Amino acid sequence: MRDKHVVIDVGDGAAIPDPEDKGLFTAWRISFFGTLGIIAYLLIFRPDPYLDIIKFLPDGIVVTFQVTFASIGLALVLGLIAGLGRISKNTFFNLVASTYIEVIRGIPLLVQLFYIYFALGHLVRVPDMVAAIVAMGFCYGAYMGEVFRAGILSIDDGQTEASLSLGFNRSQTMRYVILPQAWRIILPPVGNEFIALLKDTSLVSIIAVSDILRRGREFASESFLYFETYTMIALIYLVITLILSKILSNVEHRLSHYERR
Amino acid sequence: MNADNPIISIQKVHKSFGTFKALDDVSLNVDAGQKVVVIGPSGSGKSTLLRTINRLETISSGSIVVDGRDINDSASDINRIRAELGMVFQSFNLFRHKSVLDNLTLAPIKLKKTPRAQAEQHAMELLEKVGLVDKAESYPVQLSGGQQQRVAIARALAMNPKIMLFDEPTSALDPEMIGEVLEVMVTLAREGMTMVVVTHEMGFAREVADSVVFMDEGKIVEVAPPDRFFDNPEHKRTQRFLEQIL
Amino acid sequence: MFKRIVLTLAMLFCVGSSAMAEKTIIFAVDATWPPMEFVNSDKQVVGYSIDYMTAAAKAAGFTAVFKNVAWDGIFAGLAAGKYDAVCSSVSITEKRQKVMDFSTPYFKVRQALIVAKDSHVKSLADLKGQKVGGQIGTTGYFAIKAAEGVEPKSYDEVGLAMEDLNVGRIAAVVCDDPVAANYAMDQYKDTLKIATVIETGEVEYYGVAVKKGNKEVLDLLNKGIESVSKTGYVQEMQHKWISQ
Repeated sequence: MRDKHVVIDVGDGAAIPDPEDKGLFTAWRISFFGTLGIIAYLLIFRPDPYLDIIKFLPDGIVVTFQVTFASIGLALVLGLIAGLGRISKNTFFNLVASTYIEVIRGIPLLVQLFYIYFALGHLVRVPDMVAAIVAMGFCYGAYMGEVFRAGILSIDDGQTEASLSLGFNRSQTMRYVILPQAWRIILPPVGNEFIALLKDTSLVSIIAVSDILRRGREFASESFLYFETYTMIALIYLVITLILSKILSNVEHRLSHYERR
Repeated sequence: MNADNPIISIQKVHKSFGTFKALDDVSLNVDAGQKVVVIGPSGSGKSTLLRTINRLETISSGSIVVDGRDINDSASDINRIRAELGMVFQSFNLFRHKSVLDNLTLAPIKLKKTPRAQAEQHAMELLEKVGLVDKAESYPVQLSGGQQQRVAIARALAMNPKIMLFDEPTSALDPEMIGEVLEVMVTLAREGMTMVVVTHEMGFAREVADSVVFMDEGKIVEVAPPDRFFDNPEHKRTQRFLEQIL
Repeated sequence: MFKRIVLTLAMLFCVGSSAMAEKTIIFAVDATWPPMEFVNSDKQVVGYSIDYMTAAAKAAGFTAVFKNVAWDGIFAGLAAGKYDAVCSSVSITEKRQKVMDFSTPYFKVRQALIVAKDSHVKSLADLKGQKVGGQIGTTGYFAIKAAEGVEPKSYDEVGLAMEDLNVGRIAAVVCDDPVAANYAMDQYKDTLKIATVIETGEVEYYGVAVKKGNKEVLDLLNKGIESVSKTGYVQEMQHKWISQ
């Protein structure tokens, strides 16, 4: 059997815990409960200033989540289109997708954020959140496009041939046969990108979106409690990414049922 | 359908990959109900020929008419034609993300709009035929090679094809599993299915074939009924090939 | 070889002697605050504050070195000893005085409200329910936060707030009046204007911030600032940078 064994490792998000790991002391548990423990300790034994800091942050956390989820939604749609474009035999579609990926990947995210934010500002009046989401979505769409492409190409050609020989056309083949299998291979790197994106949303604080980081910076700039504020911000980001990586690990486990003997 | 009107008509087909001539002026007719076995050394173009019949390979020139329709004519709907041509691959190519039952019902449900219950009933009948009713809920990865290939045959049959194409169906199997697959194919032949089989199984060819085709270097060298083909081949190249493998 | 050693020793001696004679004070400057401190087209950090401290250095006998540092975190760097002083239009406030020491004031400042040219807004009170921007951690931003019903929006640089005001994402910007004047009368003179100078009740002064207890640097700074303030040079600089 000519199975292609493909490992896509992007590796800028977070370590996804292994769902088969049944040990009591896993890296995930140590990090997660350790972080919660430190937060609890700081809030109980040093409520001044940590309680004030954490009270200042909730709306920033909400904004971070809003930007993350909206951007990832946009990035997945753009990524799927770009990925399909990259493998398309249609020269025009292929060229558009490839150019998009080349251009976006060659520009640092921070520069894109500034550019889209201020360039959009001159063209249309969009709220800062929308500008941030568009910028993040477009950037990550390009990375997702490469992940989708690699995922689709990793599926054995035999699957396509079998589907075509039954009478499915190319798009039905993609929809019923290739994508459902590619999704499983794509999920770990997509999850990784998702967590990387969540962390990168801290960049939107630069364009004045009031996310966790900006709220923290505002607090620190007035109280001069830089160390304490950034300690709390780091801990909160860590808790969020750890929870997300756990969720992704579980989803991945569920999707892989047909690979188990 | 009478003998003057073959169900598959391959006329003067050429196919090249760059400068390599994979098919060189190949013509072959297959009548309805006929079982044609194609043999030849590797690289002789036999698999390529089989794959041009349902246009998994496009041809450079010539014509291929299946059941009255020119498959390379842009006016004919290749997907409809393919639905009438069942194909079995060397590497099974079962849909890995679907259970055995779903492998069989996917195409009828999506393409023929067969109601699920009816599609499943038909699928179970086919699984019975290949002896795998108890594996309906299994996933391909849980089956042996022989079992997977039997499912693959059932999956092709689920679309009620008029013709079955077999591309070296036993070449990827461990020796002890070849028998179970051939058995299914023999049954199918006995039921009158039109079959084109590319294989190295000479026993199968002798037992089932109406006509044996020998190919070498992209050309059809000899076409003969199995008795004459194996016992009294006309061409030198055929003789040499048979000496090597028998 | 011998010549080289002599040369090296001579150089060391020169450096050592000048260090002995003149203390070097490193000033952190967020050069995004024209006309007080900004980067000119020759990539030099220039402005009123820079001229002022250079003159003060001359008067008090120290060497002034200016280091361009982002505003957000500028005081954290001071506390960490990355530089000796912050000379970056720092208003002297009670809260800041708790964590750092300030020199003698060298500039009197008020907060100005900048709006679009066609706006009828007269004060912060007219901006209820609207977004008003200011630079993070500045007295201007604190004034916005203190105003009731206004949605404050903080920026890393006041220039970004001005750009957002220019394209209409926010309704107004609050910042120090010399800066406001620079933007409203120069860069954005066709689109923005100063609506009013905000009465915060107290007079606001710029001072140079030093790490709490750094008496050596503070004394030198005060000596310099006091002697410059008595000369006519202040008027000269006012004319050069602010009322041109």
